[in-house]
Formats: sequence, structure tokens, C-alpha cells
Amino acid sequence: MVILMAMEDELLESLKKKPVTLRFPYERARPEDRMQAKVTWEIEKCIGCNLCVKVCPSNAIKLIGRGRKAEIRYHVGRCLFCGECVDVCPTKAIQTTKEFELAFTKPEEMILEFRR
Amino acid sequence: MVKAIDIPFGPQHPALEEPINFTFEVEEERVVDVKIRLGYIHRGIEKLAENRTYHQNVYLVERICGICSFAHTTCYTQAVEELLGVDIPERAKYIRTIFCEMERIQNHYLWLGFTAKAMGFETLFMYTWRDREAMLEVLEMISGKRVNYGMNTIGGVRRDITGKMVERMEERLNYLEERANYYKKVCTKERSILKRTVGVGMLEPSDALNLCAVGPTLRASGIPQDVRADEPYAAYGEIPFRVVTYDGCDVASRILVRIDEIIESVKMIRRALDGMPQGPIRVKVPKNVPKGEAVSLVEAPRGEDLHYLRSDGSDRPARLKVRAPTLANLPSLRKMLKGVNIADIPIVIAGIDPCLACMERVILVDTKSKKGQAWSGEELWRYANEWYRES
Amino acid sequence: MAALNLNRIRRRLKGRVQEVFVQRERRIFIRVAEEDLRETVKTLIRLDGFNHLATITGVDIGPAIELIYHIIYKDAVVSLKVQVPKESPVLPTITDLIPGAVFYEREIQDLLGVKFEGNSSSSLFILPDGWPDGVHPLRKEWTLGRISKKVRRLW
Ligand code: SF4
Ligand code: SF4
Repeated sequence: MVILMAMEDELLESLKKKPVTLRFPYERARPEDRMQAKVTWEIEKCIGCNLCVKVCPSNAIKLIGRGRKAEIRYHVGRCLFCGECVDVCPTKAIQTTKEFELAFTKPEEMILEFRR
Repeated sequence: MVKAIDIPFGPQHPALEEPINFTFEVEEERVVDVKIRLGYIHRGIEKLAENRTYHQNVYLVERICGICSFAHTTCYTQAVEELLGVDIPERAKYIRTIFCEMERIQNHYLWLGFTAKAMGFETLFMYTWRDREAMLEVLEMISGKRVNYGMNTIGGVRRDITGKMVERMEERLNYLEERANYYKKVCTKERSILKRTVGVGMLEPSDALNLCAVGPTLRASGIPQDVRADEPYAAYGEIPFRVVTYDGCDVASRILVRIDEIIESVKMIRRALDGMPQGPIRVKVPKNVPKGEAVSLVEAPRGEDLHYLRSDGSDRPARLKVRAPTLANLPSLRKMLKGVNIADIPIVIAGIDPCLACMERVILVDTKSKKGQAWSGEELWRYANEWYRES
Repeated sequence: MAALNLNRIRRRLKGRVQEVFVQRERRIFIRVAEEDLRETVKTLIRLDGFNHLATITGVDIGPAIELIYHIIYKDAVVSLKVQVPKESPVLPTITDLIPGAVFYEREIQDLLGVKFEGNSSSSLFILPDGWPDGVHPLRKEWTLGRISKKVRRLW
């Protein structure tokens, strides 16, 4: 028999199935356990050691002030979500979240400040 | 006498690290000459790397290419590790190998979809991309990311593969292998694919060697050259595998080489998972790298990837040179394109595995009849600048 | 295996090499003078196991620019080094010996300003149209700040 279409069985099969895509705003895929998105600071724990600033590959973190009084300015738009700062912090002051829908209307909103 | 016409083509290729501009000189339907202009997305990464620390550069290098990101970081970290003189733990080597192969699988599925789209076979495009998702989910499960994994670091890898993950991986690998076999059947039987690919975009083995082609493009011309076999890095020395070659020298062979590589990669991952030793996954490394130079080679999904690193003893590289596989395949692409029909241009370009979303942007300019009106890029740029200044 | 290749290289190149050293297994570095480049390449590509030219790296080392031709063999990677003075950086092309070198040479011509005699296409290849003459971004004197100042004035 001449093959008309090599994928015909597959296509007929698919007629019986639902679409594989999700209807996004109403249905969401469950994020994987290891997924990393925006990071946040528990600023009381921070000792101002500057390690996270030095390790960040995209210069997304700025330390304002020094030592235990230091405050953090975090530029979400620059962050790569690599998690290096989380790994390096000696006091575990930084955590990753699963918040990935990071659209902003103004550029200033992308800079988050963590104050004491 | 047939008039030669120039067709500009490009430069918008959203998924390729180098959006290219081709200028085809065509006579009737045949391409007689090709000019290539690069640099539309030259990001100066080599210069930038000189201004960042070795550790920060891992993330910079990862962003050279969204699809072969793991191959680039492996190549870069290998060079740094060689200069530092550290030996990474065995388990890290195995994890690197597994990731390299998983990346190859997802890249080849992606490529198969693009190629199908280039020949107008949208159904196959949709199906391969659906199946690619199975691989991406596994990658996300292990690393937390879908494309730029952030797995590699100098001295090892950052995340481990747990027993529970292995179970899910095996299930996905079985599915992917079954699908790859199915696509192989489709690509050898389906007449519309055969008509578009067999005998199109020929690259003779001698030309391929002379023009320094690499990767699947070279292997589809029957030359069994593969960095994984010639210079085993990571754990490739301990995992037996077959270097896939086909000798059709055309686009059809390039499709078959890649589908067979998917099947081969699935087998390699299984072997690597079986033989993976226990132990630590990274070692601590000093910040400053001793003076010296290193050449590192990796077989990226698209072919051989080379990083040359020179250190002057500080915490920043003195020079980092990156040669991505696509640049090595450009001279061969130019050769393949000579003599093809205009209608076959997309499929031939797709054959070396760049992106081809620029397809819809072809414009025809008859340079001969419009002499004096055809602008070079520089003139157009001047004009645009003037125009903006005035308004 | 590397040692075997090395002896072969020494014998074939006779007095031409300035320095040969084996960094580790599979990595051989050779240094030759500028005028011997073509002859050396000609010899090297005739050795068996020759596969392809991987790329040409250019490094700014102060008074001179060092070019490194990475040549891949089945059992080794030979890096052939040659230096050209920064004031008059001109080298003969090797595209007639290895046709695949054409884009690597043009890349270096743009980024480091080394001219290759005989590589016919001399228009810009990587840098954008209208890029100022004499700005070769990979040279060390062009720091990021200087380049961006120069370029900002243009656009
Ligand atoms: S996650 Fe990475 S990029 Fe983002 S702030 Fe931390 S170190 Fe910087
Ligand atoms: S690494 Fe941790 S403790 Fe140190 S400055 Fe950053 S947040 Fe604070």
C-alpha cells in the first residue's frame, strides 16, 4: 500500500484527545520544587558582609550603609535568578520564592528595597 | 542573457546567537553566489568577560546561547579547572555528561521542529515541540530552570540528581526514545519530506573538511569526527557510544544523523545513570587563577565548541575566546547554498541548525535595473539618522 | 600519542620553530616567526590526522598582537602562535591553504585590526556599519569606557 501520509494514525488518534496546552491564566502548571524566581531578604538577619553583592553575576544587589545597619537594594530587572546569593549568605538571610510573574508598569518598581 | 538579481535575506533571526544577513545573487531560480554579513547581535561578550571575575563569567558564558548553554559553561569551566589544576569529583563529571546529553536531545527535537517548519510541515513541528517539553520538564526538575540551567560552576555542579528524579527521568527517556523512533519512520517514509530534502544542499566530504565544518553537518557527510570520542571530557571516556554518521551529504542525512543522535543520547544517559558513583558534587576552588593558558573543547549539540582562556594571575581572565559551532559551519553553508533553488534556501539554512524565523522577511531588490537607488547599509543608516535628527 | 606527533612536527619543521612545548596530553603549542607562518601551516596541514582549523584567536599582549591558530588533529590540538607588531599588523592570508579560515580572519581584522594580505573581502564583517576607523574593540587600550564614549558620540 502506498503511504499517503506517514503521520495519519497519529493524527487520527489526536482527534480524540484534548489540547496539551494549558489555558494559562485559568490553569497553571505546578512549579517544580527546585524552581527559583525572585529572591527576598529577611533583613534582620543580614550582617552586611557584602558577600552577596560580590558574588552576583549581574550586579543586581546594592548594599546601602554598613554592618548591621545595612539595607539592601535589589534590582529585580537585572536578576538572573541564579541563586548564588542564596548559597553564599552566611546567615541565611536570603530566600528564593516561586514568584515568576514579574511584570511592572514603571521601571522604578523593579528596584525593591529591604529596610530595617 | 539572464540578469543576476541580489536578494537580501535577514538579519532578523530571533533564536540564533548571530542574526545573519545573506545577500543571494540569483539567476532565475538558482543561487549563484552568497555574501554573508554578521554582527547584528554582536554583544561583545569576549570584551565583557575581561571585566568580570571567573565566577561571574560562568553566568555570562551561559548566555552566549540559549540552547547550548550547558555546552558553553562546560567548556569554560573545564578551561578554568585546567588552569587551577583541580580535578572535579567523579559524580560531578557524570552529572555534566547527563546534562550535555539531555541538552542534545532537547536541541535536536527543537531543530527537527524548525526544519519541519522550513519545509512547511507544520504538523511535525507541533508534535516535536510537544515532545521536547518532556525533556525540558526533566531539566527543570533537576536544575530549576528550563534553558539557562545555572548548573555548572567552577569545580563541579551545583545540584544533585536524587533517586526519585531518576525514576521520573527513566519514564521520560522511554517516551522520548519511542518518539524518536517514530519520527525516524516518518522522516524516511513521508514523501513530502523526502522530496524536499534528498539531494538538496549537497556538501561533499572533501569540501566539508576543507571548509572546516563541525558537528552533525560534518557527520552527515560521512566523516566520523566527534569531540566526545576523540577527546573524551567529563565522563565520556567511561560511557561507550556510537558516533552516528550518514553519507548522503544532503539535508535528509542531516535529519537522520540528528534523530539517531537522540536515540544514542537516550542510551548514553541510561548508561550514565547506572554507572553514576556516589560522592560529593563540587569542590571549593580559589578565587585567583594562576598564570597560564588553556584550550578547551566540547561537543555542543551543533558541533565542536572551543574556548581559549588566558590568565594573568588575577581574578579576571586576560582573554577569553569563544568559537561557537555555527561560525565554523558558515563557510560550508555558503558552499551548500550555491546552486540551490530559491525555494530550498530555508531548508538548507535550517540544515546546519541556525534559526530561520527570518523566512517571512525576504524582499526582492533588482540591483541592475534600479542602479543608483540601491543603498548600501551605510547609506541607509546615514539617511535614517538624518531623518531622525530633522523630525 | 602526543609525543609521537611532536617528534614528527619537530622533524618536519626543522629550524623554523622558535619554541615547541607540550602543555599536557593532546595540547601542543608552537611559536614561529611572522615570515614563516605560511610555510609552517603548509607543513602542518600535510601531517596525517589533520582534521580542521578550529579558529584563530587574537590576543593583545602590549607591544604586539599574538595570533593563535588552533589546528585540530585526530590525536592532538596544535596551537600555532605568531606575533605581529601593533604598528603595522599585516600577515599573509592562509585562506588558500585552508578555505575555512576566511571568516576567522575577517573577525580578527575587525576586532583587532590585523590586516590579512590576500583575503579579498575587506569590508566590515562583525562591527556595525559606520563604525569609526581605528577602533578595534579587543585591543586593550580600548577599555569599555573609551569605546562607549566614542560610540555614544556617533549614534
Ligand atoms: S539570584 Fe543571582 S542574579 Fe539574582 S540577585 Fe542573587 S546572585 Fe544576583
Ligand atoms: S550575604 Fe547575607 S549577610 Fe551578607 S550582606 Fe548579603 S544578605 Fe547580608
